[in-house]
Amino acid sequence: MNTFLAALSLGASRGATFALVALGLVIVWRGAGIVNFAQMGQAMFSTYIASTLITNGYSYWIAFFAALLSGAVLGALLDIFIMRPLSNKKQSELLSSESMRSAVPVIASLGILGALQALAGIIWAAEERGFPAPAKQEGFTVAGNVLPFTSFDVFVVSIVTVALILTTLFFTKTGIGLAMRATALNQEVAKLSGIRTNRTRTISWAISGAASSLAGLLITPTSNLSPNTLDLVLIVGFTAAVVGGLDSPAGAVLGGVILGMVISFVTFYDTPEDVFLAILAVLLLVLIIRPRGILGSKDARRV
Amino acid sequence: MSNLKVKSIARISLIRTLIFSALILLVGLQFDAYNQAQLAVVLILFIGVLSITLLTGISGQLSLGQGALMAVGGYSTALLMINYKLSLWVAIPLSIISSAIAGLLLGVAAARLRGPYLAGTTLVIALAIPTIANRFMSVFKGDEGLQVDVGYPPQWFSTFFGEPTYEQWQLYVALPFAAVALFFASNILLSRTGRMWRSIRDNESAASLAGVNFARQKIYVFIISSTFAGLSGALYGLRGLVGPSVYPVSLSLLLLTAAVLGGIRSIAGAFIGTVIVVFLPDWIELILGNFELSEQVSNYLPALISSLLLILTVVINPAGVAGVKLHKHK
Repeated sequence: MNTFLAALSLGASRGATFALVALGLVIVWRGAGIVNFAQMGQAMFSTYIASTLITNGYSYWIAFFAALLSGAVLGALLDIFIMRPLSNKKQSELLSSESMRSAVPVIASLGILGALQALAGIIWAAEERGFPAPAKQEGFTVAGNVLPFTSFDVFVVSIVTVALILTTLFFTKTGIGLAMRATALNQEVAKLSGIRTNRTRTISWAISGAASSLAGLLITPTSNLSPNTLDLVLIVGFTAAVVGGLDSPAGAVLGGVILGMVISFVTFYDTPEDVFLAILAVLLLVLIIRPRGILGSKDARRV
Repeated sequence: MSNLKVKSIARISLIRTLIFSALILLVGLQFDAYNQAQLAVVLILFIGVLSITLLTGISGQLSLGQGALMAVGGYSTALLMINYKLSLWVAIPLSIISSAIAGLLLGVAAARLRGPYLAGTTLVIALAIPTIANRFMSVFKGDEGLQVDVGYPPQWFSTFFGEPTYEQWQLYVALPFAAVALFFASNILLSRTGRMWRSIRDNESAASLAGVNFARQKIYVFIISSTFAGLSGALYGLRGLVGPSVYPVSLSLLLLTAAVLGGIRSIAGAFIGTVIVVFLPDWIELILGNFELSEQVSNYLPALISSLLLILTVVINPAGVAGVKLHKHK
């Protein structure tokens, strides 16, 4: 019973962070039609910035918001200087074909990932360092029994819930959020109705950058920080996004929780070594049974 | 170009292959031992990069999992050599069967996937496959891996050509396989098959209207590309060790970087790109050797520069170094 509870609580807290990562991928996919494989590289970079601030004596919360801000700025810069010029090059020979139009941004994002990791290695050295958690990482004690649920888990789940509510409100209640949904639906029509699609694209990169930086801040206390720490998280986040539906924010959350549970239960009841095979199995299962994902819309796979 | 007869296609490819092999031998034998070993790595990875040229450049299917296919080739070869005491000249051609089967499975799955879905799925595969080595410890020996190498040349070889050094022998082993790969790649690019694959890349609807069964062709592309990757992986493992650490995800990305830098649609581009990524660390050291760089900087500098080159290539000159000839291949 205790193992079951432990698996459930780890699954919930991991699932919450995977949901954030998946949400970051979904936001850029909707806003720019790109799966951003550099996302967790950006998150790693801003977590390092937070880590540096903390070592220099700043408080956790200053570092926390500095990381979110730098994640957003970095995301916006990457869109403005790399992805936007790329999408304006549709006339070029290599991008003239359907399939390469979706392949080339992926290649560019891999280049960004490599560059960010190398840069982090040069600036902050390769050895792993710890990253603090703002809450205790020991289980609650009730009547002498240590529960497998920590204050940090509570913190993670609640802060992710707040972030998800804020994102939902942003998309449904604000003008810019509506503009982004319109752009996701049909870029040409959105442009014709006066939406500045370039700007909405950049904003989606910025929001995605902030969301994934938040994920980085929440994952590294349990894993340590190094230039490559978050690579595996991207794979999980991608699978979560595909499971839920690449174009559905709600699906991203659902997919994140499913993946969190799968990974946690495989870790507790089988062996951690099987985690990747389990992820692959889930991914292939969804792609075979329901390729658009659980909550994805029908034409999500048109690209 | 499209009216070439089968015979003249084969002749063009053969001439290209012979010139390539002669040049490699001429240049390679002038090199010192270290650079000969590096050139052998270039030849080995060139085969792997060709697998991306065929898959992504010609057919438009982006795979980030070529490293996993290389591992399939490497493990099959190593197991055949260790368990059945086969020579590498028998083991490597046999191992191609298993990489072809891996390609078939991947192709069947991939025929349903497009763009980023395919890229992500192959990336997950690249991560998941090497963990099998730890799952079946008794066969694959886990993280420790299987030790194999190119061994020593047979007696008759030494009698005819003199005793080669170990590095020269590495070069002599890699060259025939690279030459065969070059010959087949060149044939495919010039032939009807190559035109069919380009049609899948450029416009699926138009291709199927013109009578191309693109689902089947996609599977063929994956099988062929996978045999190239498997061959490359087999030779790559023969440098000493076949293990999960030899075929990391970064290897898949290195091959992709090479293919894009050189020019993802041409064979010459594949070779130029491979030379760049293999020799880049040496060139950087040559240029910056006089500066006092900390280990931290010099460790990461090659990765930083090749990543930046990749981004610049994609944004500024997507056709790559060999891209000048792009319109001819269209």
